[in-house]
Amino acid sequence: MAEISYSRKNPDYPIVYATFGAMHTRVELLAVGLDEEQGRGLMAEAEREVKRLERLFNRFDSRSPLAVVNMTAIGQSVKVDDELFMALELCEVFRRATAGYFDVTAADDGVETGRDGSGGYALDGKEHSVRILREGARIDLGGFAKGYAAESVRRIFEQAEVRQAVINFGNSSIVAMGHHPYGEWWPIGIEHRKVKSAVAREVKLKDGAMSVSGRAESGEYHIIDPMTGNRAVGEELIVVEGRSALVAEMLSTALYAAPRNRRAAIMAQYEGYVASEIYCRADGTTECREIGKMKK
Amino acid sequence: MNRKEFLADCGKKGLAGVALSMFPWLESCSDKAQQEVKGEKARIGMIGTGSRGLYHIKNLLRMPNVEMVALCDDYRPHLEDAAQYYPKAKLYDDYRKLLEDKNVDGVIVTTPLYLHGRMTMDALRAGKRVFCEKSMAYTLDEALEVYNCRKELNGVLFIGQQRLFDPKYAKAMQMIHEGKIGKVVGVRNYWYRNNDWRREVPSPELERRINWRLYSEYSRGLMTELACHHLQNGSWAMGMLPEKVMGSGSLLHWNKDGRDVYDAVSAIFTYPNGVNMTFESIISNKHFGMGEQILGTEGTIDLVTCMHYTDEPAPKGSGMHQLVAQIESGVMSNSVFAGTSWAAETSPLAPGMPIMDNVTISTGESTVGAEADGSIEIMEAFVHAVITGKQPEKVLEESYYATQFALLADKAMHEGAILTLDDKYRVPYTPLG
Repeated sequence: MAEISYSRKNPDYPIVYATFGAMHTRVELLAVGLDEEQGRGLMAEAEREVKRLERLFNRFDSRSPLAVVNMTAIGQSVKVDDELFMALELCEVFRRATAGYFDVTAADDGVETGRDGSGGYALDGKEHSVRILREGARIDLGGFAKGYAAESVRRIFEQAEVRQAVINFGNSSIVAMGHHPYGEWWPIGIEHRKVKSAVAREVKLKDGAMSVSGRAESGEYHIIDPMTGNRAVGEELIVVEGRSALVAEMLSTALYAAPRNRRAAIMAQYEGYVASEIYCRADGTTECREIGKMKK
Repeated sequence: MNRKEFLADCGKKGLAGVALSMFPWLESCSDKAQQEVKGEKARIGMIGTGSRGLYHIKNLLRMPNVEMVALCDDYRPHLEDAAQYYPKAKLYDDYRKLLEDKNVDGVIVTTPLYLHGRMTMDALRAGKRVFCEKSMAYTLDEALEVYNCRKELNGVLFIGQQRLFDPKYAKAMQMIHEGKIGKVVGVRNYWYRNNDWRREVPSPELERRINWRLYSEYSRGLMTELACHHLQNGSWAMGMLPEKVMGSGSLLHWNKDGRDVYDAVSAIFTYPNGVNMTFESIISNKHFGMGEQILGTEGTIDLVTCMHYTDEPAPKGSGMHQLVAQIESGVMSNSVFAGTSWAAETSPLAPGMPIMDNVTISTGESTVGAEADGSIEIMEAFVHAVITGKQPEKVLEESYYATQFALLADKAMHEGAILTLDDKYRVPYTPLG
């Protein structure tokens, strides 16, 4: 259950804050200007939605529809519900639109899925079915689910006419609605894992979203390069800002997996999105370079 | 933070009613209770002025309403050590003479375990209000005898289970009972030291008198000297008493000096709902020190370090909290929290949350006594009770059962059996709040 708190310390801007664990991380939601009953109710509704999506997209839960696909759809078509089908369609569109670097079938070490340019699964729109094309391949929606869930929460907040809110999935997928009550944006500092608590870059989020990908906090390289089946190894952070949390998340994953010299070409297809690489120098300072604007 | 600050803090948070109803034995700290004894003196006599007695003396010296009128020990050097602190106190080498002293209202018994029961009962029968070090008695039968004696005489009896009076333990137990760690599913206790547990002996014939802890004729070793503190925590957290006990003990390392109590013990106490409480003590390795951990379905409370760990820990120093604080204060500044996806870390790495601020942590290494472990508070409460004659609720039963289960576990180890506490040893028990 979510821990929900309500603060009226600033009577002009009452705050409802909720936090709960989901999708292998911690979700934090903050909304401003609601009365307590509405605020608490809204947070509970948001948690229910996120947990529902977690059950749908979690490949490690043997009861999830995705796990069923992974277990039964190798070489044969398996029908799936509308939402999972739509998610797989979106992932396939993004795979093509990232030169194959966003590939949800690049889920396990050593499974090379993208080199021949085809995807890891086939969809049948009439039947609403999916078929996994390669032996050993499995679908992992980890790079999709948090962005998708963040957008779902945003919709819930919008329907409730929330004007100012921050939706944070594990610090890596963040949606901002409106702006900070005392500023023109929400100021979100990014820290590099090697330089804790220092601002490597500040993002001014207003009615937008951002996503960060890179080597995990634990030190693990967890993103797999679909072209090789090996883990993408890089010390830089990839930060993508734009309107949609879902697009930002898929793009940051793809850009991290892609070689540096291919990143600008991928970004050229995404109007309204800005991507940056943040490097940590040997002296502990950080350097931020916008992708597509780097000197050659 | 001491007990007064703790209760004041509860007051600030609007919890005073809750706190006092949950911890009625702490009421002697309230302003009302303090007013009751203002200007009055508790005239105390101490029986046993060895290392633990001196430890209490150093705490008693800070208490203005204590008058130490008598000291007793049959080992002269110890008696003289104590007399330095209270030069006006009358000195005795026979505790029965001290009990006849009409100037003594309250007695503190800090003698070897095998003497606890007899001295406590003699003191109660002499009309004294009594504080006796744990454990309560040397045998199961004797503990019951002491309990019944106090009951029949309607006397005042405190046993030195000081954690009951330690604010950080009270706060932690409140959190446990409020469900902050979910359902309690395990209680894990350990106490490791790496020393021989010996006191210096000036002459060989004094070996057994001074190192009484090492001989089963006088002591039950690690179970009665250490475990009884932890066992009492378990019942406090669980709100019930164990159903059965099993264990194993060995004389593993310190086995060349003639001692006959175990230097390594492991015991399991099973509660009626199936939860196990473990206690392990080894005194030839100290790496892990002391631990008293209450394990719940949603988190863990480490009573020793006064930390609360959730099974779904929040990110370190959540920047979202910074945003909340900014809006509450009417300002905007940068909040640093974005980065690669945060994943819940495993327990040993997860940053816990302190249960209280500014607490002193005991490592359990001292063989005499720790700082800020409730020892001052329990003594303050006893002094209050010496003046008022009021026995605090529930705590004697906690101490009684801590002793009984420590003794039962020792018995289980020696017999290699799984034991339950015989019904004849059951006394009315109301779980602590």
